[in-house]
Amino acid sequence: MNAEQYLADVEIAWCPGCGNFQIREALAQALSSLGLPPHRVVLVTGIGQAAKIVHYLNVNGFNGLHGRTIAAAAGLKLARPDLTVIAESGDGDLYGEGGNHLLHNIRRNVDLTVIAHDNRVYGLTKGQASPTAPVGYRTRAQPFGSLSSPLNPLALAVALGAPFVAQSFSGEVERTGQLIAEAIRHKGFSLVNVLHPCPSWNRVQNFAWYQERLDHLEEGGHDKRDRMKALAVALRGGERIPIGVLYEEERPTFEEQHPVLSGGPVGLRPLPRPEEIQRLVALFS
Amino acid sequence: MDLVVRIAGAAGQGVQTLGDILARSLFRRGLYVHGELSYHSRIRGGENAFTLRIGDVPVAATARDADLLLALNEEMLNLYRPHLRAGGRVVADGGVKDDAVTSVPAVRLAREELGLPIAAGVVLLGAVVRLLGLDPGIVADEVRDAFGEKAEPNLRALALGHEQVRGEVGRLPPPQFGRGEKMLLTGGQAVGAGALAAGCRFLSSYPMTPGTPVMEYLARHAAEYGIVVEQAEDEIAAINMALGASYGGARSMVTTSGGGFALMVEGLSLAGMIETPVVIHLGQRPGPATGLPTRTGQENLLFALHAGHGEFPRYLAAPTGPEDAFYLTMRAFELAEEYQIPAIILTDQFLVDSYQVVPALDPARIALRSHVLTADELGRMGQYDRFALTPTGVSPRALPGVSNKLVLVDSDEHDTSGRITEDLAIRKAMVEKRLRKGDGLRGEVSPPEIYPAGLFRGKRVLLGWGSTYGAIREAVEILGEEYAHLHLRELCPLRTEELERVWDEADEVVLVEGTATGQMGKLIAAETGLRPRRFVPRYDGRPFTAQEIVEEVRG
Repeated sequence: MNAEQYLADVEIAWCPGCGNFQIREALAQALSSLGLPPHRVVLVTGIGQAAKIVHYLNVNGFNGLHGRTIAAAAGLKLARPDLTVIAESGDGDLYGEGGNHLLHNIRRNVDLTVIAHDNRVYGLTKGQASPTAPVGYRTRAQPFGSLSSPLNPLALAVALGAPFVAQSFSGEVERTGQLIAEAIRHKGFSLVNVLHPCPSWNRVQNFAWYQERLDHLEEGGHDKRDRMKALAVALRGGERIPIGVLYEEERPTFEEQHPVLSGGPVGLRPLPRPEEIQRLVALFS
Repeated sequence: MDLVVRIAGAAGQGVQTLGDILARSLFRRGLYVHGELSYHSRIRGGENAFTLRIGDVPVAATARDADLLLALNEEMLNLYRPHLRAGGRVVADGGVKDDAVTSVPAVRLAREELGLPIAAGVVLLGAVVRLLGLDPGIVADEVRDAFGEKAEPNLRALALGHEQVRGEVGRLPPPQFGRGEKMLLTGGQAVGAGALAAGCRFLSSYPMTPGTPVMEYLARHAAEYGIVVEQAEDEIAAINMALGASYGGARSMVTTSGGGFALMVEGLSLAGMIETPVVIHLGQRPGPATGLPTRTGQENLLFALHAGHGEFPRYLAAPTGPEDAFYLTMRAFELAEEYQIPAIILTDQFLVDSYQVVPALDPARIALRSHVLTADELGRMGQYDRFALTPTGVSPRALPGVSNKLVLVDSDEHDTSGRITEDLAIRKAMVEKRLRKGDGLRGEVSPPEIYPAGLFRGKRVLLGWGSTYGAIREAVEILGEEYAHLHLRELCPLRTEELERVWDEADEVVLVEGTATGQMGKLIAAETGLRPRRFVPRYDGRPFTAQEIVEEVRG
């Protein structure tokens, strides 16, 4: 299937010029490049502008609650390891409201691909600071500027032991698509933090601002197998924004280690017969 | 015949193990038992008590006073000595306080003869077994089961204790049933077994008393029966994971208590919106907030009924005991699947932790049916719409990935295909579709139990729901012909026909409930305009006993 066929022919409610359009295209390219049939893919999203992407693609969709994207995706993957499960939402959803699920699913290492739309603001609720907003970022809700230091999702993921951590910029659609495809192919928890401008609310970090600062890691010979180097890149700060795979390692997934899941997806197993259960209740007699 | 044995000690002294052994032994001996575990929220010290009622007829409630007290320390002796029935005996180590106390040098024997001080409890148990006139061979089998490799010194402890005393307290009746005819289990085990029997394939939960025994039960049987049991990072994750798994086709469950359920509430509403089945076991304990973590109560009735923003149907059942808990849990899974709704099993600490002898469970009694479309059925369909409008409100449910049909669910208001919409005509149709499922569900609900059967004219009716069943029934038997028992177990949707008849006929309705405010009274008033005339409350964290209900009712 070509990438176009993954794009749903529906009216799109995003603002003109939003990076979400490019991420949608990149995801379609990734699915196409992997040859994944739409019905074998489930896109799990939360709530927010980014989360609406589930309605704009031709794949299965679970559009759940704000912040609970990764939790629902993990439950689905544990019931149906046979499906490709992608959890996708905005920075507020994944890093703010859903922070606990991010932490613990990195620990679980379920084979999920998490795509974070990181534009440093809350779009749908009109421009409040997100967890990744820079210090001093002024909004109607933060009139004195954001006082909290921004969350560093890359450093957090590497530090917790996520086996695949990458960052891309939505303006580079093809590269973003490739990174998403790599993340899906990677067995285990994968995070792709996609930076993108918000033309409606974030006038500072616009398209040009990002374009000037991109640092493509593979061009600088970054060793993505070296966790300490990945952490150093994630923490280095300054003007250069790392783009590419920061860290990658192979380690057993939750599903591979789970004795029940080796027997096939529990979501597709038949109902028990009374005689099977008779054996169980006989333990009470 | 009603004999009560109480084993009391500090946490860590083995109250639960000794109680299990004695309960199982009496069950093996063909006697009805009810075992109630009451404990402080701590791992060491405090006060733990196992109250075992023994009968020649089924026993479904606990008792305040005991015939035989096994006190594992002096504090427990002093605490429970006043709750001894006339002619009752105490078995304890150390100084004899009065005629009722039979002193057994259990600690010295355990240390000197066995070199195992912790076995002092089993020495005392041996004495109790002698006083009950129970065959020590039966008890020895249970000691072997309970201690496994460490059984040998404990078997000697049992024999040592047995030699220490003479005489008997009460006389055990002859066996009332043979092997295999009855079963002994707790409410928590019953909910877990009911879930397994109903084809539960996924449980995600965060530990919280008294919800946890259900998670532990399922975890123990997970490998054999093919269930994913995962401890979630919090209760919010638990219910959202369960919904993800359920969307994928796994019959899914969460187990928790009031505080955890509070965290799940947004997820409950999501289940209503995306019409994805989930079963919630809510084991009540007294609140507000953390409340009394290891005690019992019925304070979550209105919370469980009203939890969740927005309007959507749900099923809520409150089992009366372990047998009921098994079948109602199976039924909750079936109804959740059939109507694509959340279903709540409302229990409490008393029910979850109490042992009871029940008729042999028959998993075939609740018919199981798959409520999802097969690949063949989907193949024959043209377009597939997950939320197709139907007369019953139930839309044929497909699972993702079993055919080339896409399955889309959305927490936003959506059209029939699951796509987000702000078309207000569609919104209206979707509200009505979801609520129509409640009409069908209403027709499934069984009538309340009325005892004795027949007319209530001139009677005073004790009204209860859930785990107060045994205590109320026993109270009605004691109170005599003037009294009757009306008991509710399926609480949402609420059937009102029988309630209206009872109010019409009866002299008065007295609500018996483990709350301070009479929540069932408010619910019935809201649904029918009828109110109970009197209310017997209980909110000290302890379960009702028949004796106390009788005292309250007689005033």
